[in-house]
Amino acid sequence: MLKVENIYKNYGSVQALNGLSFSCDDGEIFGLLGENGAGKTTTFRIIMGLISANKGTVTLDGNPIDYTKTDSIGFVTEERSLLTKLTVEDQARFYGALKNMSEDEVEKALDYWLERFEILAYKTRKIKELSKGNQQKIQFICAIMNHPKLLILDEPFTGLDPLNVKMLKEAIYDLKKEGCMIIFSSHQMEYIEEFCDKLVILVKGKPILAGRLQEIKKEYGIKQIEIIGDVEKSDFEKIKGIQKIEHIQNQWILHIENQEVVKKVFQAIQKKNIWKFEAKEPTLNEIFIEKVGGAK
Amino acid sequence: MSKKFWYLTKMSLNKKIKSKWFIGVNILFAILLLFFLNVDKIVTFFGGDFDSTEKIVIVDETKQVASSFASFLNSSEYTAGENTRYQIAISEKTETEETKKLKKENQILVVFQIDQDNYLKAKLISYEKMNALDYQVFVQAINQVKSQYALSLEKIDPTVLGKLSAPVQIERTVLNQEKNLDEKMNTMMETIFPMIILPFFMLIIFLVQMIGADICEEKSTRSMEIIISNVSPKVHFASKIAAANLFVLIQGALLLGFTFLAFLLRNYLTNGSLLGNLSTTLGSVWNSLATSSLIGKLWYFIPLFLLLMILSFIVYSLLAGILASVTTNMEDFQQIQMPIMLLSVSGYYLAIMAALFEGSLFIRILSYIPFVSCLLSPALFMLGEIGVVDLLISILMLLGIIFLFVHYGMRIYKAGILNYSNEKVWTRLLKTVKNKDV
Repeated sequence: MLKVENIYKNYGSVQALNGLSFSCDDGEIFGLLGENGAGKTTTFRIIMGLISANKGTVTLDGNPIDYTKTDSIGFVTEERSLLTKLTVEDQARFYGALKNMSEDEVEKALDYWLERFEILAYKTRKIKELSKGNQQKIQFICAIMNHPKLLILDEPFTGLDPLNVKMLKEAIYDLKKEGCMIIFSSHQMEYIEEFCDKLVILVKGKPILAGRLQEIKKEYGIKQIEIIGDVEKSDFEKIKGIQKIEHIQNQWILHIENQEVVKKVFQAIQKKNIWKFEAKEPTLNEIFIEKVGGAK
Repeated sequence: MSKKFWYLTKMSLNKKIKSKWFIGVNILFAILLLFFLNVDKIVTFFGGDFDSTEKIVIVDETKQVASSFASFLNSSEYTAGENTRYQIAISEKTETEETKKLKKENQILVVFQIDQDNYLKAKLISYEKMNALDYQVFVQAINQVKSQYALSLEKIDPTVLGKLSAPVQIERTVLNQEKNLDEKMNTMMETIFPMIILPFFMLIIFLVQMIGADICEEKSTRSMEIIISNVSPKVHFASKIAAANLFVLIQGALLLGFTFLAFLLRNYLTNGSLLGNLSTTLGSVWNSLATSSLIGKLWYFIPLFLLLMILSFIVYSLLAGILASVTTNMEDFQQIQMPIMLLSVSGYYLAIMAALFEGSLFIRILSYIPFVSCLLSPALFMLGEIGVVDLLISILMLLGIIFLFVHYGMRIYKAGILNYSNEKVWTRLLKTVKNKDV
C-alpha cells in the first residue's frame, strides 16, 4: 500500500503542497486531479524521492521510499523522458539496467510489449525518428517492463490517437489485475472517471475533495434531469428547486437543486408521452469545475 | 548501486566513443598528425626549387677574398647538411663578360672591388630575384670576408689574425642546483614544451564539453527525472566524472599512438625502414637528457606530473559537471563554460611564456592555483624556476579544491539537475550551497 500522509512542500514563499494525504491499495488506481501548477508533479516527485517534503511522510508497504525500493516503481513523466539519440532497444536496455533488470529480461519484456503495441518493427530505430505517439508508447513500455509494484502515470495519454489510447488502457487494466498500484494524473476527466477507484482534487496544493469516486458522486448528488417527450417549458416552471431549464436538440435539460426535485418533476409529467427520463449523476468534469471554481 | 554506477559510466563512455563523430575526428587527427610531423618530407616529395643548387660565380678584383668567401658560404649553417647548396666558381673574366652570361646560365654573380674608404665593396647580380635566406647568407659571408681583408691590409700578423677569428671558449657553471639546467636544454624546453602541453590543453576542452553535453542532453530530454528516480545524484555525478576522465585518457592514448605512427613514418621516409635508426634517435634524446641535470629529477617529476594532470582533469570535470547541472540547455552551458575555457587558455599561454617570467614571485604563486597549475607548474619546473615542493603545493591545492567541489558542489548538482527554471539561478545556488539538507 502506498500511503501519503500530511505532505507539505513549499518553494520559497510558494506553497506547492498543503497537507496532502491519500492512500492507494494493491490493484487500485488512484487519480490526482488539478489545474496546471496545482501540485501534481510535486507530489509525484516527492513519491519518487526526487525532492523531499518539508513535512509529512510517504511509505510503500509501511517503509519509506528510497533507492532500494525504486526498482519496483515505474514512472511515466508528463514530458517524454527519452534519450532521443538512442535506438528503442538501447533506451529500453538503459532504463532496464537502472531497474536492475538483466539484458535477457529486458529483451523478453521489450519484444512482448512492442508486439502488443504493434511497433516491433521500430525496435532498432532511433527514438527521434518515431512519431510522438510511438515515443509515448516506448516511454510507457520502459516504465512497465519490470512489472512495477507502483506505477506513476503523469498524463500518459498525451499525443495518442483513440486506438493507441485503447491499447494503453488495456495494458493499465492488466497491470491493475496483477495487483499494481497506479497513481494517475490527467487533464482529461473522462479517463480519470473511467479508471480511478479513488481520487483527490488539488487546488494550489490543497486537497479540496478526496475519496472514492462513487462516494464523491453520491455525496455530490443528482443535479440534472434529461427529458425527451411531449412536454412544454410551462410544465416545469412552477416546480420549486429547478435552477435552470434548457432545450437542446429536442431534449429538455433541467438543472436542479437536489435529488428531491427529481420526484416532483416526475410526478408533474408522468401522464405525458415520455421517451426519455434520466436523472443524471454529475460528471467528474462538472464536479471538478464546480470545486475548482469555488475554491478560487 | 555500484552495478548501476558502472552501467551509467559505460553508457556515457559508449555514447561518446561509439559515435561516428568520435571515429571521424580521430581519423582526421591521425591524418593531420601524420601530415604535420612529416610536412618537410611531403613538401620535398612533390619537388620544387628548394632542392636545386645555386650556381655562384665570383669576380674578385682584389685577388684576395674569393676563396675565403667560398669557404664561408660552404661552412654556413644554412648550407651545412647532406648536400652542398652552392656550386661556386671563381672567374678570371670581367664583370661585364660574366653579366652577359647570367640569363643563360641562371647564376648569381658576386663581384668584389676595392673601396678606398671602406676597404671592400661588393655587388650581387642575378637575373631573377634572390631567395631571402640566400641573400642573408651572402651578406653575412661578405661582411666576414671584409673583416679578414681589412685586417690583412693593415698588416696584422696571421697568428694574431687566427686568434682574433677563433671562437671564445666559454666554461659554464651554475652553482644553484635547483636551477642547474643547461641553456641548451632550456632552449629546447621553450620550443618543445608548448607542443607537449597542447594535447593536454585540447583534452581539457574535450573533457569540459563532453560532461556538459551529456548532462545537458539528459536534462533537456527530461530523462534526468527517470535516471535520478533510480540512482542517487551522487552516483550519477560520479559516473559522469568517471566516464569523462576515462574518455580523455582514451583520447590522450590515441593521440600518443598517432604521434608514434607519425614518427615511424618519418623514420621510414628518412631511412627507408620503419624502425631503422630509431634506437639512434632515442639514444640521442636520452643523451640530451643525460647531459642535462633533468635526468636526475625525472624519477619524481614524471609521477608528480601525471598526478597533477589526473587531479586537474578531475577538477575541470567536477566544475563542468556542477555548472552543467544548473543550466537548462546546451546554449546556456556553452555560455557558462566560457570562464572554464578562459582559465585553461590563460594556463596554456602562461606555460608557453613561462621562460619570460624568470624569478617572478607572482608567476610562482599562480603555478599553485588549480586550473592553471596543471599547465604552468610543469613548464616552470622544467625551466628550473620551481622545485618539487612547489609541485607538491600545487597538488595539495588541487586536492583541496576537489574536496570543496565534492562537498559543496554536490549540493548544487543535486538541486540543479532537476531544476528547469532560469529565474534567480545564482540566488538559489547560493542558498543551496548553504543548505546542509540538500
